[in-house]
Amino acid sequence: MGRYVVRRIIQAIPVILGATFLIYALVFLLPGDPITALAGEKRQDPAVVAVLRDRYHLDDPFFIQYWDYLVGLFKGDFGEDYRGNEVVDVMKTAFPYTINLAVTALVIEMVVGVTAGVIAALRRGKFIDNVVLISTLMVISIPVFVIGFVLQLVLGVKLNTDYGIDFFPVSFNEDAGFRSYLLPAYVLASTSLAYIARLTRTSLIEVMRADYVRTAVAKGLSPLRVVVRHGLRNALIPIVTFLGMDLGGLMGGAVITEGIFNIPGVGHQLFQSVYLRERTIVVGIVSALVLVYLFANLVVDLLYAVLDPRIRYE
Amino acid sequence: MRLTKTMRWTALAACTALAISACSTGGDKKSSSEASGAGSDKKGGSISVELGEPQHGLVPQNTSESEGAEVLNAIFAGLVDYDIKDNSPKLRVAESIESQDATTWTIKLKDGYTFHNGEKVTAQSFVDAWNYGANQDNAQEALPFFDKILGSDELAPGKDKKPTADKLKGLAVVDDKTFTVTLKAPFSQFKTMLGYNAFFPLPKAFFTDPKAFEDAPIGNGAFQIDGKWEHNKQIKVKRFENFPASDGKAKLDSVTFKIYDKLDTAYNDLRADNIQITDKLPISAMATVAQEFGDRYIYKPDSGVGYLGFPISTNPAFASPDLRKAISMAIDRESITKTIFSGTRKPADDFINPIIPGYRQGALGDAAKYDPAKAKALFAQAGGLPGNTLEIGYNADGGHKEWIEAVGNQLKANLGIEVTFKPFEKFGAILTALGEHKYSGAFRMAWSMDYPSIENYLRPIFSKVAIDNGSNYGGYVNEEFEALLSKADAAKTDAEGIKLYQQADDILVKDLPYIPVYTYMSSAAYTKTVKNVNVNAQGQMDLANVELA
Repeated sequence: MGRYVVRRIIQAIPVILGATFLIYALVFLLPGDPITALAGEKRQDPAVVAVLRDRYHLDDPFFIQYWDYLVGLFKGDFGEDYRGNEVVDVMKTAFPYTINLAVTALVIEMVVGVTAGVIAALRRGKFIDNVVLISTLMVISIPVFVIGFVLQLVLGVKLNTDYGIDFFPVSFNEDAGFRSYLLPAYVLASTSLAYIARLTRTSLIEVMRADYVRTAVAKGLSPLRVVVRHGLRNALIPIVTFLGMDLGGLMGGAVITEGIFNIPGVGHQLFQSVYLRERTIVVGIVSALVLVYLFANLVVDLLYAVLDPRIRYE
Repeated sequence: MRLTKTMRWTALAACTALAISACSTGGDKKSSSEASGAGSDKKGGSISVELGEPQHGLVPQNTSESEGAEVLNAIFAGLVDYDIKDNSPKLRVAESIESQDATTWTIKLKDGYTFHNGEKVTAQSFVDAWNYGANQDNAQEALPFFDKILGSDELAPGKDKKPTADKLKGLAVVDDKTFTVTLKAPFSQFKTMLGYNAFFPLPKAFFTDPKAFEDAPIGNGAFQIDGKWEHNKQIKVKRFENFPASDGKAKLDSVTFKIYDKLDTAYNDLRADNIQITDKLPISAMATVAQEFGDRYIYKPDSGVGYLGFPISTNPAFASPDLRKAISMAIDRESITKTIFSGTRKPADDFINPIIPGYRQGALGDAAKYDPAKAKALFAQAGGLPGNTLEIGYNADGGHKEWIEAVGNQLKANLGIEVTFKPFEKFGAILTALGEHKYSGAFRMAWSMDYPSIENYLRPIFSKVAIDNGSNYGGYVNEEFEALLSKADAAKTDAEGIKLYQQADDILVKDLPYIPVYTYMSSAAYTKTVKNVNVNAQGQMDLANVELA
């Protein structure tokens, strides 16, 4: 198992290198000049442009620029953006917000999604099952930003102005602490939550038909024990896979949610940086996201063995 | 298999328990949320206002966009300030700004102004700041603003050349409270120009650590920074207690500039009273804001002008002024401002914005009168366009598609030509394409003033020097126009100067290098918790006078 983990970690190196190269090249190829973008709506003085282009080596060929970037990276230097901010600092301030948001979303997905799925599976064909199926179908088919705007308006603005209930902040507010994350995390989690509920339902129905569940019931085990130990444990394997993949997706996919709720996280930063052609920030953030993805997948693979001891690694 | 009833209930209970325990971790910091927003029982009080993330570090000489300028105007005080009603310049830090010949200016400072770190604001504070801004090695955005001062060529010799001096020859410190400025040529509007943030002073501390200054600037204004600029989140400022009472201390204890990415979110926060003022409203709010905010909705003319431009110097098809006039007459300005912009713009009738001293109503004359029949005749008489087609370029990032297409359709119908559209990804992309002569179609353009002078609507956009150094993207050149500008620059009095600038404006009306289509309106709104909210011609809040209601 130790060797397996080491091998997986070594495999990550070429993936990271390839990812940085691809992203670097893509941002490089985007039309539009970062220095012009810097000036917003006004035209820059040509002399100022020349000084700035020289300062950031923008007139060097692509491969030289990329090589310089890589060399810096090996020294642990992520470089700076065209406004002179250290990329590391930018990432350090942005990532905690997104991690909080993504983890909250993941917990919501897990708790609400799995619960709904289990209830639906155990009451298959009944009223509550239909409620779960129809509501998840609705959530899946409505775009995230619509859900976001509607919830923001109803729970953030209307609840506050009409009823004086100020529980869900309209936009991110440090003082409100954890409450600030609830609404955006729910919006971010909504689609995956619906998938998980459906996945859990199907998977559990399948498992509950298996011989070992029948044996467990025949042995006289308590119903809770049967569902949790024998049913859910085996039904969880596809769900854990989905959750693992989803963590990376949640962090990268926060662009829309962070925009609506004004959370100064990675998605927000990434969107701005692509728009402003801030190459170093884009590459830095995307590489970090790739790392998160790889790590999450590793954890998922290791979790399989915990859930089903028949699975072994070498 | 079937589950027993008890089994179902236990499963449900277990799940509910899980859900509840998960939620309870969320309630931790609930109580602290009440701290934000306005506490109306307190004297002074604190408010939050809307802001977009500034483009650069908060250095006055490196800020030419509205978001950074908004903050700088709260924490700096310039030599002059502009009257909130008529935009005339009035002295602020300056005791007097005088000149006999409009070339050599003597500036005397008032007593009592200090920087937030206690350093006195002296003549040297201004001279150092301007020398810094004028040096191209420092790559400050406001570089072109120092162009008029004697010696600027040595500090900014141009692309690929090195500065040969580090001090402007035209600046001389007489004593702590007096300095003189010598210009290359007379410029009657110099005093008006000095309210622009590029001319703000800098303390010594800036030069020892410019990097630290960018996030925590030390100014001389009514507010001082509280902590540091928290990027993408907020900038907090608090009242500067040592600000001279004669200038008007800030009434509020503190203001938080809350940084938003989306105006829609900011507007929702305003409606929930989480922020108290916004000076930018999203398009989606325009239909209901007047009804919702009543007299707390501010709607007034803003300094912007929107044009349809032509690359006259690179595309001979557009050479004829009559042709441009025909196009101008074929545009129904009234219907565009009403239907496309739902009244958030006004039809333009002069090259000068209506809020600027020197604006003349109806100066554009016939060219701005919608007359399809005359337009068509004039268009044919001027020889039409090659292939009977016109291409109009616009930037897709600023909501211009609708009005450009409406103009295109009007031209199609009224002139009988084919109109095609070319979207550019960003405004910067059009500017680059035009600057490098890679685009030769008509284009959408706009101008918003740097300082409220009639001159600012003429030279930076239509003069010869502005081809290289400014915003003359059409490449328009008219010697008579240039001569009149110089004459106006040398005028002894403001009134005389305005008259001469108006004559230069008349030449533009005849030549129509660009077609002015509309002027902008600015809109702002505030909540019931504040009063005395005012917005200046640049659409910026006058925060020092805001009070809790």
